[in-house]
Amino acid sequence: MRPVGFSTTPNLVLRLPMWRSRLMLFLLFFVFMLLLIRAFWIQGPGNAFYEAKAVRGTQRELELPASRGKILDRNGQVIATSLEAKSIIAYNDTVPDDLSAEKISKLASLLQISESELRRKLKEERKQVFLKRQVDPDVAQQIKKLEIPGIGLNNEYRRFYPEGEAMAHVVGFTNVEDRGQEGMELSREKDLAGHPGQRRVVVDRLGRVVEDVAIEQFPQNGKDLQLSIDSKIQYLAYNAVKSAVEQHHAKAGGAVVLDTQTGEILALANYPSYNPNDRRGLSGEQLRNRVLTDMFEPGSTIKPFTVSAALEKGAITPSTTMVIGSSYLVGKKPITDTHPMGTLTIAQVIQKSSNIGAAKIAMNYLSPEEMWNMYTAVGFGQAPKIGFPGAVAGTLHPYKNWVPSDQARVAFGYGLSGSLFQVARAYTIFARDGELVPLTIDRSPDFKPGVRVISAKTAQEMRQMLETVTQPGGTAVKAQADGYRVGGKTGTAHKLVGKAYGNRYLAYFAGIAPISAPRISVAVMIDEPTGGSYYGGDVAAPVFSAIVSETLRALNVLPDSTVKQAALEDSSPAETHTASAQAQHMALKR
Amino acid sequence: MNRATLTLLALLLLCALSLVAAQQRARKLFILMERAQLEEYQLNQDGLRLEYEQRNLSKSARVRDVARNQLHMIPIAPERTLYLKESK
Repeated sequence: MRPVGFSTTPNLVLRLPMWRSRLMLFLLFFVFMLLLIRAFWIQGPGNAFYEAKAVRGTQRELELPASRGKILDRNGQVIATSLEAKSIIAYNDTVPDDLSAEKISKLASLLQISESELRRKLKEERKQVFLKRQVDPDVAQQIKKLEIPGIGLNNEYRRFYPEGEAMAHVVGFTNVEDRGQEGMELSREKDLAGHPGQRRVVVDRLGRVVEDVAIEQFPQNGKDLQLSIDSKIQYLAYNAVKSAVEQHHAKAGGAVVLDTQTGEILALANYPSYNPNDRRGLSGEQLRNRVLTDMFEPGSTIKPFTVSAALEKGAITPSTTMVIGSSYLVGKKPITDTHPMGTLTIAQVIQKSSNIGAAKIAMNYLSPEEMWNMYTAVGFGQAPKIGFPGAVAGTLHPYKNWVPSDQARVAFGYGLSGSLFQVARAYTIFARDGELVPLTIDRSPDFKPGVRVISAKTAQEMRQMLETVTQPGGTAVKAQADGYRVGGKTGTAHKLVGKAYGNRYLAYFAGIAPISAPRISVAVMIDEPTGGSYYGGDVAAPVFSAIVSETLRALNVLPDSTVKQAALEDSSPAETHTASAQAQHMALKR
Repeated sequence: MNRATLTLLALLLLCALSLVAAQQRARKLFILMERAQLEEYQLNQDGLRLEYEQRNLSKSARVRDVARNQLHMIPIAPERTLYLKESK
């Protein structure tokens, strides 16, 4: 027998089948292939998911703030601006429950709220509660120094209005989200609003920004808006209206000042007003922009247009006479004047404001269509296109529907309605030798061509008649302005109470100045004066006078009336000069 | 390894280190720029605030009040005004 070594014993020789090793080899190869494919997938097409995950960990989107545009007056003075403010936020899940009473009391006093209200807010279920918005940055800094966990600050803007009440109805205001709610803030929201941008940055593990990746959207600051309003004139118009309303215990008042050469609106004053910086407890009465949104029957302020239509037609001249009498019956109700008048010229009809005279001119010399065309041409019945929210069109019924009594009453301002703004605009035809000037509230100091409504001759004749209204014998001697010749027309209209005219009145005065070369058109309205006289000549005319003399001085317009020069080196103080002659004299001396 | 390989390896290391250094410097500069931008924003805000304060001090109501009550000035009247024409 052949000896068999231990290591070579045939019993221990493994005889594995070949297929098993091949299977193993194949399986291993397959698994490695899978891993390889996966690796390629992750590196290649499937990469986006992991990349996004990595980006989420290291990159952040930050907002780039954009500020709201400023509103400036015609001289570049700021009338609305946005300043940085902070909102104070409580993250209620982080604010400790055992916050010391001292810190709560300090925080409450800085936020100007009661401790109990603060505690209530901190216990609210919501994760994030605004403790106060639009906090002054100094106060916010003091709050930050309290180092209360879970109390955070957020950046936002707050709108400030330096001119306060005087300019409130023009500029309007914004809400806490910095969006316009009233006035120019609302109507020009699109231009004024800023659009915040967005940037992507890399942050380190402590959340500090270490690198810019990209600015995804550039911030766009809102555009500044320059208005035609002059804050000085606006203030003095507001003040004059306010004092008149207080003096005559009236309900409200308003005034409009227009530049007849450029069509710019220089002032739009309303009283009562409100402080746009502090709008707590605002009432609708305060918010109403009466000069643009209130419709009223313009009363006698319409008479110059009735007379203009007849003059333009050539049916009358300023010296045509007519018998007025004590009453004039058209329809059922007789038309009367404040006192009976005998025979008047057309110029005197305007000077004395005769209702009968105006009605007779309409009935004897004009057709309803001619009257309607005149009122429409000067802007009644159409909303002024100045981009102001709520500007009304007023009502002017179609002339085909007029019965004779309508025609007679429309001639002296009843049966049609318009806003004070429309009246002021209509008077620009007398200032511009018959052209109606297009108006704008944006600063645009160039001369604007107008639309001709009446001839220059008629306009000049009307100017002379309007001046007589403010001279002795006229209805508005109190409209005279220091140093300037003025012309205009009073109006005293009964107010409609329900469907009937009650004992409530609206007092108006609309006019132009200086008469020698008109520069401004001013209309004033005082609503329901109760302290004594309610006539336009007594109540509204003094406001017109105050506004005109100060406005023309502010615009550097040379006086055109005779004034006494008190302090001249080579003439006696009592000597009388016309100011324009004086100016020429001074120019020659130089 | 021959000499050329060693030189290239050294160059590679140098490049890698300088890249890290450059990145570090870029980040530092970026932080400085961020600070400067924040400062610019704050200065802009301060500018607006000062402009508002100046406007508040020069608003018509205050000017009138100070002129009348503190400086005892009276309104302009045409009879006390000398009008001069601008010579062209």
